Amino acid sequence: MPAVYSLYIINKSGGLIYHKDYGSAGRMDTNDSLRLASLWHSMHAISQQLSPVAGCTGIELLEADTFDLHCFQSLTGTKFFVVAAPGTQNMESLLKHIYELYTDYVLKNPFYEMEMPIRCELFDINLTQAIQNDRFALLGR
Amino acid sequence: MIGVGKTKQYANVLDRPISKGKQEVSLSAFAFLFSELVQYNQTQVDNIAELERRLEDAGYAVGARVLELLCHREKGNRRETRLLGILSFVHSTVWKVLFGKVADSLEKGTEHEDEYMISEKELLVNRFISVPKDMGTFNCGAFVAGIVRGVLDGAGFPAVVTAHFVPVDGQQRPRTTILIKFAEEVLVREARLG
Amino acid sequence: MAPPPRSGDAIFANVDRVNAELFTLTYGAIVRQLLTDLEEVDEVNKQLDQMGYNIGIRLIDEFLAKSNISTCVDFKETAEVIAKVGFKMFLGVTASVSNWDPEGTTCSIILEDNPLVDFVELPDTCQGLYYCNILSGVVRGALEMVSMKTEITWVRDMLRGDDAFELRLKLLKQVPEEYPYKDDE
Repeated sequence: MPAVYSLYIINKSGGLIYHKDYGSAGRMDTNDSLRLASLWHSMHAISQQLSPVAGCTGIELLEADTFDLHCFQSLTGTKFFVVAAPGTQNMESLLKHIYELYTDYVLKNPFYEMEMPIRCELFDINLTQAIQNDRFALLGR
Repeated sequence: MIGVGKTKQYANVLDRPISKGKQEVSLSAFAFLFSELVQYNQTQVDNIAELERRLEDAGYAVGARVLELLCHREKGNRRETRLLGILSFVHSTVWKVLFGKVADSLEKGTEHEDEYMISEKELLVNRFISVPKDMGTFNCGAFVAGIVRGVLDGAGFPAVVTAHFVPVDGQQRPRTTILIKFAEEVLVREARLG
Repeated sequence: MAPPPRSGDAIFANVDRVNAELFTLTYGAIVRQLLTDLEEVDEVNKQLDQMGYNIGIRLIDEFLAKSNISTCVDFKETAEVIAKVGFKMFLGVTASVSNWDPEGTTCSIILEDNPLVDFVELPDTCQGLYYCNILSGVVRGALEMVSMKTEITWVRDMLRGDDAFELRLKLLKQVPEEYPYKDDE
């Protein structure tokens, strides 16, 4: 069972531009995923304001009983977050890697329009590989 | 040499020494520029065939200049007069300079005497590009087809050159073939030269 | 603990690179297309700037991803980072920053090496052309995506007889978006 359950990418306005499920756990339909993205976008922003520490950049990790949610926000406001099995390691570096794949296979695609849903075959292919490699790295422990 | 420290100022650009061709930029810089070339041309056309033609035309001028540059620098101004010679020049020298490697393969067409194919597992220009399904068989490699046509035309081997995706058994991604169809006069001359 | 920022040289050494001639020739093809399509030199300048902007808003994420730069303390740091890391990792050349105004909001970025212009000479018919105008757009677009609105103009242009390329960079506004965000509609 893959450690990463799903990946979400939200544009800087809070719109869901990418959603992929990798396991059988935690799957949801399109409407729910759109709602989730919008909710997370707001929570993330509010957390920055609630923080007692100045210069807080928002929620990076949310730990629940049945999952961990790791979030990375670029300085351009795009958010990448994965829902994974509790205690999964290396999610930060996976998110960083996914960010780089985004800068290659999405942003360099002339047929991709900024802020719109991502439909880039090369992005899907490389992403799946990255997530699978990550799983093998974990199993190897 | 261009690219090292301050460049010496020459009164006339023609007096400057020709570059050794060793300066590099990141692949990303090229990819962003190429992506913008495609995007700009998309706004100028109504259909895919026109987009292909505009990309080919853009490549043509590059090809013509590459020919001049390489003939002078790599070949000491020697001119290719034979078909296989010019094809080999394109497949090896031109490809190496522009894309960092020789092309994967050069083949003669089996169905037509005037057709040759240069194939690549993946063209450099397509490295980060995913063509949407609704654009059918469109290939941004049309730009490269244009470059090849520019080289061939400038060298005296007029041809129609097009880029095609070719599915490969057992592979998720198709490879790209640059199809070269030489003009009648080229074959006639080639036959005469024996 | 965030990884330390990387130098322009280190990044450039680690990315895939291509022959600058492919880049130079492709840029030439673009300028040529624009001159044919738009005819007016002023229109071409505008279009080059727009194309640069379109590139800048996409390129910034790669810059951030590869350089590990976190928020710059001030505009001075921003300009240094553009010159030393930005130009190096994409174009393979280092630029320098100088001529700061007393407020620290305007400076010059100077390029002596520019792969866009190898062997380019402006014909008499194009004397008003800012051949490298794509660069000003790229910087402007990139900075806008990290909440900095700037005005960028050419002060020196080697294709017009000057001894270097000099961009004047002026910070107009620094406004990070605060939640609740203003409606786009």
